[in-house]
Amino acid sequence: MTELVSLKGIVKHFPGVLANDNVDFTLRRGEIHALLGENGAGKTTLMNILYGLYRPDSGEIYIEGRRVEISSPRDAIKLGVGMVHQNFKLIPSHTILENIILGLKEVGFIINYKKISEEIRKLAESYGWRINPNAYVWQLTAGEKQQVELLKLLYRDARILILDEPTSVLTPQECRILFQALKRMAREGKGIIFITHKLDEVFAISDRVTVMRKGRVVITKETSKTDMSELAQYMVGRPVLFSIQKERTQPSGEAIIIKNLKAFNDKGVLALKGVDLVVKKNEIVGVIGVTGNGQQELVEVIAGLRKAAEGSILIDGINIANSSPDRIIELGVAYIPPEPLKYSIAPNLTIVDNLFMKAYRYKPYSNGILINWKKIYKKADELIKNFQIISPSLSTKAKSLSGGNLQRLILARELSGLIGDKIPKLIVAAYPTKGLDIGATEFVHKTLIEYSRKGSGILFISEDIEEALMISDRVAVMHDGRIVGIFKPGEVDMEKIGLMMAGVQVVPAI
Amino acid sequence: MAKTSRIPYNIKIQKRLYYSRKLSILTTFSAIIIAFGVAGLFFTIIGLNPLEVYSYIGGVFASPTLLLESFKRAIPIGLAALGLSIAFKMNFWNIGAEGQMYMGMLASTGIVLLHVYYGLIPDYLVLSLMILAAFLTGGLWCCLPAFLKAKMKVNEILTTLMMNYVAMYLVDFLIYGPWRDPKGYGFPLSVPFPEYSKLTVMFGEFAYGGLLLLCLTAVIVFIILRYTKLGFELKIVGENIEIARYAGINLSKVVTVGGFIAGGIAGIGGLTIVSGIIGRLRPRASPGYGYTAIIVVLLSALNPWLIIPVSIFFGGLFVAGDILQATLRIPGAAVEMYQALIFLFIVIGEFMKRYKITITRGVVE
Amino acid sequence: MSIQWVEQVLQLTVQMGTVYLLASLGEIYAERSGVLNLGLEGMMIMGAATSFIFSIAYGHLPAIFIAAVVGALMGFILSILAVDMKLNQVIVGLALTLLGIGLSGFFTFPEIRKNILLKLNPSLPEEMLLTQQAEKLPEIPIPLFSNIPILGKMLFSHNVLVYFSLIFSILMWFILFKTRIGLTIRSVGENPSMADSLGVNVYMVRRATTIISGAFASLAGAYFFIGFHPFWREGVTAGRGFIALALVILATWSPLRAILGAYLFGGVETFQYRLQLFGLGAQSPYFLAMLPYIMTIITLIIISTESIKKKIGAPASLGIPYSREE
Repeated sequence: MTELVSLKGIVKHFPGVLANDNVDFTLRRGEIHALLGENGAGKTTLMNILYGLYRPDSGEIYIEGRRVEISSPRDAIKLGVGMVHQNFKLIPSHTILENIILGLKEVGFIINYKKISEEIRKLAESYGWRINPNAYVWQLTAGEKQQVELLKLLYRDARILILDEPTSVLTPQECRILFQALKRMAREGKGIIFITHKLDEVFAISDRVTVMRKGRVVITKETSKTDMSELAQYMVGRPVLFSIQKERTQPSGEAIIIKNLKAFNDKGVLALKGVDLVVKKNEIVGVIGVTGNGQQELVEVIAGLRKAAEGSILIDGINIANSSPDRIIELGVAYIPPEPLKYSIAPNLTIVDNLFMKAYRYKPYSNGILINWKKIYKKADELIKNFQIISPSLSTKAKSLSGGNLQRLILARELSGLIGDKIPKLIVAAYPTKGLDIGATEFVHKTLIEYSRKGSGILFISEDIEEALMISDRVAVMHDGRIVGIFKPGEVDMEKIGLMMAGVQVVPAI
Repeated sequence: MAKTSRIPYNIKIQKRLYYSRKLSILTTFSAIIIAFGVAGLFFTIIGLNPLEVYSYIGGVFASPTLLLESFKRAIPIGLAALGLSIAFKMNFWNIGAEGQMYMGMLASTGIVLLHVYYGLIPDYLVLSLMILAAFLTGGLWCCLPAFLKAKMKVNEILTTLMMNYVAMYLVDFLIYGPWRDPKGYGFPLSVPFPEYSKLTVMFGEFAYGGLLLLCLTAVIVFIILRYTKLGFELKIVGENIEIARYAGINLSKVVTVGGFIAGGIAGIGGLTIVSGIIGRLRPRASPGYGYTAIIVVLLSALNPWLIIPVSIFFGGLFVAGDILQATLRIPGAAVEMYQALIFLFIVIGEFMKRYKITITRGVVE
Repeated sequence: MSIQWVEQVLQLTVQMGTVYLLASLGEIYAERSGVLNLGLEGMMIMGAATSFIFSIAYGHLPAIFIAAVVGALMGFILSILAVDMKLNQVIVGLALTLLGIGLSGFFTFPEIRKNILLKLNPSLPEEMLLTQQAEKLPEIPIPLFSNIPILGKMLFSHNVLVYFSLIFSILMWFILFKTRIGLTIRSVGENPSMADSLGVNVYMVRRATTIISGAFASLAGAYFFIGFHPFWREGVTAGRGFIALALVILATWSPLRAILGAYLFGGVETFQYRLQLFGLGAQSPYFLAMLPYIMTIITLIIISTESIKKKIGAPASLGIPYSREE
């Protein structure tokens, strides 16, 4: 059996990191090959090298036995290599057709929209997808966008398909449709590389699996000859404990009451369609669901960063819907936003600046006009110690910190009672462990549990169901802008949770 | 697979993570020198002797009288640049310092005319009121685009640019019309400013009083940026608007107030032109100081202390321009072109600082 | 108001508007691909200066051609700075504008003009060496069409550059929205990393559109000088390049809508001159001179209102340099 792709001795350095360390990898014709590993293991870097986005520092690439140089995606596409990225690379303001034919010389100078549109429709139907090629991409669901990404590759006759964490935005039902289509493609003789960090997917779809850790390949095996716990050990490098000790405290009084909350997203579409949710003091409420079902909008409305169209949010009997962010901060709401570098860390400012981004205007750090830097520096020293932030000095720019240290910095800013010297009444944490290594994740979990014990109410948004079940007192499932079910961990099995995430009502909402 | 018949050159561009202060100074000076070289090439093409031109420019900084003159020109430039440093700190691309200066001139002349024609203001109050009026008017002229940007995201580059032209034509309109000095033989000039309305009342020489004003303003700007709540807010707004919103900063308030102070300082810069350098209002009283200020502030990397010497250098260039025009009959445009070239090469130097370029010869495997 | 008066106003409106139209056509391509060319004013004034000197030395057509080449060259410089070196587009654009204004200022001085003209064409007579003005481009009325009342004067009695601008608006619209090249340009401005991953050479596309925008800006300047108002003074374009920048937003990055916008701005300026002829503001034309700039500000405010912004939206990557390995 000739190998479709063979990577030999790939090495890739980034400033300060060895992303790929002498990696070997093969892909056969007609197989689905899972590439498994934690975030930062080097899977995506390796595939970006095969796709020509990065140049390897050393190493060789063979396609169908021929040594090739891939210095750009253009070269990769010519060789039949196509990639679907984790964040879709589509242009929302263009039509599906325009997205698919971009970069294709074969369509001629003047585009024949009618003919191409028919071709695309037929291609899509052959995989069981129904799409209108002249629809705009911004009108599509996540699953449909992924189909467009795949059509883009299939229309180019790609024989080697790379999918980077393709299921992270899909419902279980959409996943099934995707898997069927992928298996069909494999039967047609294409080779598929499936990047993932979810073990169950490896067994659901792959023929072989390669595990990566810290830039190296740990093992490559037939999927049928291994099992979950073995792969998990390869992935993490030590036996994994899927539990955390947690003393339950008795919830008392409401930290926040959300009633019939409605809000629009950036495109002006109703994204929250009437959310009802209560978080009590001393309680962690996890919110799970497929990304893009209103979670982002929900936390933004609570933090005052997005307008509520209808409904109320009560904290201590005060309706904070549509209050300004500073008013909400003063009421004791801490907010840990998703994507720290986009929403809550200013990378070019110093650690002190970032720590005091909210507290700088309150006593004793400011008298209303001037800032008391002496007091700020003194307090900052203390926070660095308490929250174990590792950095050369307080005046170091935040961008030089690692992901785990950044998250500690945010926790220090939000939770340490800089404003009014009190712990927060409510902590809204959106995906706080995304992209963190295990140590940093544990720190975040421990900190949140500690604060729930001290009396804060915690609203914890996660896309990792296991994580949410592990640390929450109650778990709410969000679908299409509504809470479709609330349960205590252990009350409901995974199958039912999956159905709820797809929008099927299973247990009545409390 | 390598062809050995020709040994290729390999150009490798890598991003530097850090660069030293020495490198920073080095690139700045090389930029100035390269700009001299390119300008010299151009002078040669159009039939001038570059060495002669340069000896005149160098002469400015060697002669005490001309140096004093350079100080005078540096004052409006430096003030406008200090204002801009606040605007740029919050990432507000104010290209409108020129217009804000014209508004400052207009307001201070207005106060003088109120005094001279109607006697509404006592002598001793005139100068202070002029400063206040110049600050307010310049501030409002910058406040408007700042407010529009904060509230409606109107592109400030274009609005501030357009408002430069509006302010310039407004001054033209007044000085060719109602504000023309009836005893001025029909020239488009205002009445000459009385002595107590001139900045020379301090220390008898505008250059000294003006420099003091410039230094004081630099101190104030430094304090605002470093030690006040507003300064901290400006910094965060300039860094990232999303994050500023998240931190609970009132965006429109900060941008509007910051814009007001920035424009106000530029307005005072305008005042120093009419009440310090010229002594009356005339059309096109600023030969582009407001645009030069943009170059100055970027060259100084928004540092208020650096703005002072850099302004003096550019003030000297303006003086040199006047001398070249009078002696060699070279247009003042020579100075503008030279400024633009320095600007351009400084910006290119920015690239050189950020990236390391290595050229090696040989086959890379 | 006689019909002649109406015809004259409309003709002038189109002639004035053509300055803006030419400049904005190129800028639309640059911005559609993600490059903000803020050097427009500098390129325009250099176009005016080049057409001034070269039309005296060699005549109209060489002057127009050389002006376009000079503009393309400035566009090329901008592309190196903004696309390859990835420098801040506002700053480099401004630097090029200042450079253009500075360079063009040299031509205000008769001695320097004389030096240059003698080098270009030693056989020029003495009075041509010192003249402040150039010969205006001749109007070429299109037979039959130019006799149509009102429309004839408005659309069919102009010089060659006006026709050129109209034909190119339509052509450039077609290319932008109906061809592969246009799709590539638009995609590069929306999402360069995606276009890159599909094998589009992002840098090449942006370099090309920036050079095109330079050539068109310079043509606009050349048209303004030899085709509309052939009297040289320092700073002759007076910020019209900046107005064209605002016009691009008003036209929502479409070459066809740019025609309407350009004639609207041309109309305002014509209106201002007409008012002066009626004696309004006769003692001080400067008051009316503010009109186009104020009008531009108002336009900017109107198109920035929430409801309109939702519908149009600038190219998503406008002003953001693209670099691959970061």
